[in-house]
Formats: sequence, C-alpha cells, structure tokens
Amino acid sequence: MFPTTTKFLVIDDFSTMRKIIKKVLNELGYTNIEEADDGATALPMIQAAQAAGQPYGFIISDWNMPKMQGIELLKACKADPNHKNIPFMLVTAESEQKQILEAAKAGVSDYVVKPFNSATLKGKLEKVYARVNSSPATKAA
Amino acid sequence: MSAAIKLENPLLDKVTINAFIKAVQVTLSDMASTQVQFGKPFIEQHLTPRGEVIGILGMVAMPLRGTLSLSFPKNAILKIVENMLSEKYTEIDKNSTDAVGELTNMIYGSAKTTLNESGFNLEMAIPTVIHGDFKSITNSDGVTLVIPVKLSTNEEFFIGITIN
Repeated sequence: MFPTTTKFLVIDDFSTMRKIIKKVLNELGYTNIEEADDGATALPMIQAAQAAGQPYGFIISDWNMPKMQGIELLKACKADPNHKNIPFMLVTAESEQKQILEAAKAGVSDYVVKPFNSATLKGKLEKVYARVNSSPATKAA
Repeated sequence: MSAAIKLENPLLDKVTINAFIKAVQVTLSDMASTQVQFGKPFIEQHLTPRGEVIGILGMVAMPLRGTLSLSFPKNAILKIVENMLSEKYTEIDKNSTDAVGELTNMIYGSAKTTLNESGFNLEMAIPTVIHGDFKSITNSDGVTLVIPVKLSTNEEFFIGITIN
C-alpha cells in the first residue's frame, strides 16, 4: 500500500464528500491531505506543489463540479509530463458505461462510484498501488 | 439495446419509484451507515414543504421534465450528518446544507443509472439546496409523488418526484 506519508489532494465541490474521503484516508493512516473545491482551484495547487518540489502522491477528484470537471482536470494532468504519473482516482455518481470509458481513455487510475463505503475506497487504493508498482514507467522513475 | 419508455405517467410506475427507493437505501447505508424504511407513497397536487432543508434537482429526459426534491426536517438531517461525518451537530449549518446537496447528487446519480438502463435518458445535473422555514413551495405546475422515508432512529424525511 502507499506509504502513510503520501501527499493526497482531495477535490470535490461538496465539503461533505471531502470530509468523508479524508475520514477514510485518516482511518488508513494518511494525514498529509489537502483539499480543493473545484478542478479549477486544484490545477494551480498541483502545479505549485510540483514547482515547490513537494508534488502530490495521489489525487482523488469528483467528476461533476461547476467550473472545471474532474475529467478535464484528469486530462490536464495527463497532458503534462510533470503530473502524468500521479495516480488519479475519480469519485463520481456517474456509473454509466460511457463515462467509465471516457475516464479510462483519459488514463484514470481507478474509478469509485458514489455512494461507496470505506472498504470500497480502501480496496480501490490497494488496486491502484498494485498497478502503479507493476508499471514500467514508475519502476524506471 | 435499451427499451423505449411506454409510461403514460412515469410517476406511477414501479420502475421509477423503485429506482429512487433503492438509490436512497444504498446511499444512506453506504455513506451514513443509516438504515431506512419507506412509507406508502402518495400524490400531491401542490408540493407541501416538509422540512427546513430541501435539496432540489432538475431532471431532464426529453420529452419528460421534472424535479427531484429531498425534504429534511431538522432532526432527520442532523442525525444523517452525524452518521456521515461522525461529528454531532445541534443546529442546521453549512455542514447540513452541504450534506443535503451531496445526498441529492448521489441519490439522483444512482437512480439515474438504474432508470437509464430501463430506457430513460436522464442527463447529469447539479443540485440546489434551500434552507428556511417554508410556508409553501411553488416550483412547477406538475403533480408530485411523495415517498416518506423513516430512519431506524425514527426521524423522517421525504422524497418528492415532480413531473411537469
């Protein structure tokens, strides 16, 4: 599993969901967690963290947000060589096939459908960790 | 291939009602460890306010237009928020209104998936939350199907599905 020092960015326009995700991450031992309320506020945070030499180790984002949607943020991250290897999980109420396919095409690490329980989120994090560790790009880094 | 919608009045269809009932049940169980029971649904010509915090979301599945409303009396939303966040609140504040927004979003998203698999074509939507001491609500000319929902701790809230 990701080390407990991993720096997380949790993005959702609803503070309730950010709190719920933080609560689950805390239960898993993660305390280095920052929050953003929209993709539009998250992107400069991701860039600033990278520039400061303290990049995020994991991004968890809602899909449906008013200014910049999670899928657009995902695409922006994947298009930037500095951010493309940061694991990126979408948490969304959208569970239709076309949305899941769009996220997969954009390079999402995993996809959590709301509502979810803490066991589901934990299981997805473990799956992403296993995948990241078996990826040649990460091993080479 | 999805089936075409054949309903004269989708409010009275079991598929619609069950989609929202299942969505509420799963959402509250997963996100708030809260079990619920459903009362007998009834139809209202004019939506009566039944709570201090209401989550509203416009539903569009052409040619149908409607509104989903979740009406929470104070004691019900405070209990749900307590269960969701493991923090006790005694008054309705930003946490309660935010939680109603997120619950409305999740319940609609979950029901939308079920209904779209049955041939509807509901679109994504962002909810609005209103908070106050309401005497009446005028949101449409349509009739509303109201489904009472009772928490295991006896607090009650209401699902409203209005078809314009």
